[in-house]
Amino acid sequence: MDLLRIVWRNLARHKVRTFLTVGSLVVAFFLLCTLRTLVTTIQSGADAASASRLIVQSAVSLFVDLPQSYQTKIQGVEGIQEISKWQWFGGYYQNERNRFAQFAVDPAQTMSIYPEMEIIEGSQEEFERSQRGVLVGEELVKKYGWKLGDTVPILPELFPHPDGPGVAWEFEVAGIYRPTARNFDASMFLFQWDYFEETIKAGSGEAPGVGTYVLALEEGADPTAVMGSVDALFENGPQRVQATSESEFQKQFVSMFGNVPFFVGAIGGGVLIAILLAVVNTMLMAGREQTRDIGILKALGFTDGDAVKLLAWQSMLISLLGAGLGLGLAMVTQEGIAGALGSMFPGYRVTPSTFALGAVLAVALGLFAGIAPAWRAARLNTVDALAGKD
Amino acid sequence: MSQSEGIQLNQVTKSYSRGGETLRVLDALDLTMEAGRFYALMGPSGSGKTTLLNLIGALDQADSGEVVVAGDNLARLSRGELSDWRAANVGFVFQGFNLIPVLSALENVTLPLALTSVPKKERRERAEYALSLVGLGDRLGHRPSQLSGGQEQRCAIARAIVTDPTVLLADEPTGDLDRDSADQVLELLSRLNQDLGKTILMVTHDPHAAESAQRIVRLDKGRLLGIEERDPAGAES
Repeated sequence: MDLLRIVWRNLARHKVRTFLTVGSLVVAFFLLCTLRTLVTTIQSGADAASASRLIVQSAVSLFVDLPQSYQTKIQGVEGIQEISKWQWFGGYYQNERNRFAQFAVDPAQTMSIYPEMEIIEGSQEEFERSQRGVLVGEELVKKYGWKLGDTVPILPELFPHPDGPGVAWEFEVAGIYRPTARNFDASMFLFQWDYFEETIKAGSGEAPGVGTYVLALEEGADPTAVMGSVDALFENGPQRVQATSESEFQKQFVSMFGNVPFFVGAIGGGVLIAILLAVVNTMLMAGREQTRDIGILKALGFTDGDAVKLLAWQSMLISLLGAGLGLGLAMVTQEGIAGALGSMFPGYRVTPSTFALGAVLAVALGLFAGIAPAWRAARLNTVDALAGKD
Repeated sequence: MSQSEGIQLNQVTKSYSRGGETLRVLDALDLTMEAGRFYALMGPSGSGKTTLLNLIGALDQADSGEVVVAGDNLARLSRGELSDWRAANVGFVFQGFNLIPVLSALENVTLPLALTSVPKKERRERAEYALSLVGLGDRLGHRPSQLSGGQEQRCAIARAIVTDPTVLLADEPTGDLDRDSADQVLELLSRLNQDLGKTILMVTHDPHAAESAQRIVRLDKGRLLGIEERDPAGAES
């Protein structure tokens, strides 16, 4: 207790230095936590994928559309319960910074395929009935303040409106959904395929292609067999397809980020090492300043082990304080960051494993930074220490 | 007081290496000091006074010979045992006061009690009593930086006596003090010797300070020159 009092008072002895050291730890742990959360969020999309859903895309590339005529053929494959067309719309709301995932879909089929979407306002019937109806995630509603019945203009970049360039497509909020699964995207904007197709046809006279077909399997169906059957249907053209599990499909997106997870991890590691060196430096300075105090304590009868505790606890306290505040900051800002990242990183949330990793790193950093000064304190000769010498 | 509770040095030698040279600071020193007496230790710089004090206080260990204090042969104790022994048997008073700057006077004086079996509640009472004995009963919450030099030294004396040690070792306790403060400290040490029976060994260069002691031990070049009896009442029976 008496040693802890000295530890605490010593930290308060150089308030500015302690504040700056703790402050740098706060920033470092906040960054570490945030960067790791970006990585876990990227990976969590694949983790959240359902084993009972398949995605069919062009075998050439995700950016090559498939003909609508494929839908009927695919639906005929044994083991498939439901199928929906999906097309990436790629527009923005009001200005270019307001981007989120917009898809043209078959409403009834999509609701059946994705039971993770719980409609909390409006209804599925309204979504299916309303020609311009759109089902929006609750994150978008929170961010843009939309209400049921609101008209939402979306400026297109891939599919120009037939009335001319710069004319927005108008949608009407028919329903608001909330994900019932943790990693499911709460900021999607899903609208009627029919409205999409009619509008495109009014401009170009041609029906739009399909980005992907999303399939729900019947209970007990063998996904591998279904994938093989779907691929075999179009082996001789006109357009070959690739059927994958939803998990594999999500992993494609992760791989599209290339080495971003590694890069982000490397930055985090670099930040940690830089901060470790700063804390070690602070603790070495503190250890030298407290040389005489350690001599006094030893002369009074305190042991070498007590001298170790004095310095090790200071190091640990600084580390835990900085890390705790940094992790706390990451926790309280996660909603704001999730909102700012929007659909780029759907489901951004600091996981318990990230907190646990932060706590482990904080303890390790505290121990490591305290080793050198604590070791020196233990070895200090009492007479020399009283004279303020090493 | 029995002889075994005093201080006994037999053929004690201590050398230091400085700049590649070995310097013999104490040279086969034999010295006996009785329990309950107030000794002043005098001699020119480099005569081995502080080294002798450090050996008796178990802050350092002799190269050879025996140092027996309060019946314990210090050479036979491990590093950890020496820490315990210091906590139980010795109180130190240093020239530079050596108080912990981040603790108040009361906290500084309470600190050595953390190493004893004194119950927590009693520690504060004991520390307050020790501070009142040295005239600092109204300075309990003051930090060392808020005390004068004389007050700091009296606080250090309170810390030295709070565990009721058998031996008080004072290294130039008046060296950094003005004359009035020095006299107060010397009077205090005399009282602790006379009223509480503490064995006191005080290193000093100051003949005026040495007059407070009952006996003066003179050293030169690590050897004992002699022990001067100042107070017939302190003579061996």
